Amino acid sequence: MINNLLRGLLYFVVFVLIQVILLNNIHFLRIATPFLYLYFIIKLPVGTSQTQVVFFSFLIGLVIDMFSNTPGMHAAACTLAGFSRRPLIRFFMGKDLPEGIYPSYKTFGYGGFFRYVLSFVIIQHVTLFLIESLTLFDPLFLALRVCASVLMTTLLICTVEAFNVESQKSGE
Amino acid sequence: MKKLLEFLIRKRHWFLFILLEVVSLALVYRNNAYQRNIILSSANVITGHIASTSGYVTSYLNLREINKELLERNGQLELELLELRDRLDMMTADTVTFAGFAPDSTEQFPYSFVMAEVVNNSVSHLSNYITVNKGRKDGVAPDMGVVSERGVVGIVSTVSDHFAVVIPLLNPKFRLSCKVLGSSYFGSLSWNGRNAQYANLDELPRHVVFDKGDTIVTSGYSAVFPAGIIVGVVSDFRKQHDDNFYSLEVKLATNFRTLNDVRIIKNYRQAEQLDVEREAKRND
Repeated sequence: MINNLLRGLLYFVVFVLIQVILLNNIHFLRIATPFLYLYFIIKLPVGTSQTQVVFFSFLIGLVIDMFSNTPGMHAAACTLAGFSRRPLIRFFMGKDLPEGIYPSYKTFGYGGFFRYVLSFVIIQHVTLFLIESLTLFDPLFLALRVCASVLMTTLLICTVEAFNVESQKSGE
Repeated sequence: MKKLLEFLIRKRHWFLFILLEVVSLALVYRNNAYQRNIILSSANVITGHIASTSGYVTSYLNLREINKELLERNGQLELELLELRDRLDMMTADTVTFAGFAPDSTEQFPYSFVMAEVVNNSVSHLSNYITVNKGRKDGVAPDMGVVSERGVVGIVSTVSDHFAVVIPLLNPKFRLSCKVLGSSYFGSLSWNGRNAQYANLDELPRHVVFDKGDTIVTSGYSAVFPAGIIVGVVSDFRKQHDDNFYSLEVKLATNFRTLNDVRIIKNYRQAEQLDVEREAKRND
């Protein structure tokens, strides 16, 4: 339990820092920004209660908002994404997952993990960009930005997951 | 109750979710000028739409008032025009006779208007009458002239406290002294009893030069109407049977079928003029 908490805290701090110091400054071709901090929510243990997931999602969104001067936007998007996390896992992996495992390539399988990450990121990004633009003023450009960011974030999360030593150990 | 509580506890992540979303969106709204502007402006689109729709509707409701004001203003301007024309005529006449004439500054234009609304009207009888909603209390008296914004309507015949009955041009009892604009010869206009659009101008001397489409105006001899108020235009003419006068068919300028607002012309010198004329006839 304590272990879990410490691990969560570490993830939280590390990925928030990476996000706000490094990735927030990336605007690839002025359209795409990767949001790696979602990795924290994605990697929460499977058995975590909905209340906690929603709360932590809101918290990390709020912290990101504080650093990037976008009060509420990330928080709203993350809360929605966090809320949809358990239904997503149930949808892709079924109900018979052992409690307490961390989502990873090993536990979910490559395809399962990728689908899970992709749908999660899509939900979060669409919400985020819709709140950000709030009108369908330039729908094509908006769609382009969403797609590019989804692509980058998913790619980055999958890469990080592939190099994550911890998940390779704990998956056994 | 217990079940309800259980339900609430089981679904508590829903409430947390909704609460946190509301908090986030409140933050978005409070702290981001762009989103606030968008929300406010789309709200403005809706409220603006509603306001413009209601304005569109109420503008129709107000048309009556506006129309009345415009008519009032039009009346004032027409009065001014007549007054100025009168003064101009006097000055040109004076320059011919005596250049050193200085007109009396206390001299007043003897006509003024009372606005009135038609409350009863007929055009299809042989003798038609119009009732208007201004009477003795508003300073209306018998024998006052009545005009619309288009032209002559008739003469006030009977007056009660708040109403007056007008004998319009569409009544054989009413004969109006008229002339062709630009000439000084006058004739007498009367209705032929058939068509509400046309009247006949008789007793116009044969040598008067005119053409179809010429304007017929009041002569100003009757003390009822100022000179120069439009009556109608010549639509047809033929020689009268005694061969010394023309009979003109005049298309009336006033549309009696749609008559709604009229002006009653007050001439405060009318009584004086009539007195003098009566005295002259008695002495005759």
